[in-house]
Amino acid sequence: MLDRFGEAVSVVLGALALAYLVYEIDRRKRKLRDLFHVLDGEEADISADLLSMVESGELQPYSREVRA
Amino acid sequence: MPKSPSGSGPPRRSKAKAGVPGKNAPRPEAQILSPDARGGTSTEAPPAGVVIDLPARPRKAVRQREYKPPSAPRFRIFIIDSGWNSVARRVLRHNFALIRRLHKEELLYLLSRKKSVEFIRRHRSLIGRDPIIAVHDLKAVELHGTEHFHGFHLHLGIPRTPRQALMALQTFAQFVGTHRHSGNLEAEIRSDLRREGMLGAVEILLHKVPRALGR
Repeated sequence: MLDRFGEAVSVVLGALALAYLVYEIDRRKRKLRDLFHVLDGEEADISADLLSMVESGELQPYSREVRA
Repeated sequence: MPKSPSGSGPPRRSKAKAGVPGKNAPRPEAQILSPDARGGTSTEAPPAGVVIDLPARPRKAVRQREYKPPSAPRFRIFIIDSGWNSVARRVLRHNFALIRRLHKEELLYLLSRKKSVEFIRRHRSLIGRDPIIAVHDLKAVELHGTEHFHGFHLHLGIPRTPRQALMALQTFAQFVGTHRHSGNLEAEIRSDLRREGMLGAVEILLHKVPRALGR
């Protein structure tokens, strides 16, 4: 009886540990995805806006020389 | 009886010590270096006690280096910052010169605060994510415009501590510096920066990703 109970407890604890691990990895990955956001079709309008600012001459390359 | 200023107190020392000229004494170097005294056109030496203004040394003209756009840039880097008083803003401002120096071969565009606010107002999903460093891969843009993969954003508004912000900035700088000749930039962003896939999960577990970034 005690053996089975102990077994059940260790299975539950193992499952909890695994779930926590998966959750933690997923959370960190989501954080990294937010931090480094890949640009694709969804952000096309944002990038196109920046490009049009460059093409219209509204934005110029930063040209101030940095002292060596 | 009122005391006279030079009364019975200890006699004041004269400021002028032996060999040290006083305030009003003529500056010897002015006389020595004056053009006349150096055997110039005039034979008359200036009278003693006259201070001659030396001609100011002509300043070297400040060389204005002309900006040469990089010959073969791989990326266009935009910095968008609407001015939230955040740790990331401070970290970015402190390290901007270094970023500029490290990526001289790329095109860098710095949006003013006003332009950044206008831009973010047009794209409201970016509110609170700035300072943003937008990196456009010119090779990808040339190939298929902005409809497919064409770069990445570093959302510096997300980190909460200066250490996290600095690590994100350093990771970005290293990535851009080391992947400018990449053949498949998208895959490298996904594997190296975002740690996607099983391998990424293992790397996160083994703490290969700086903990400060993932937290």
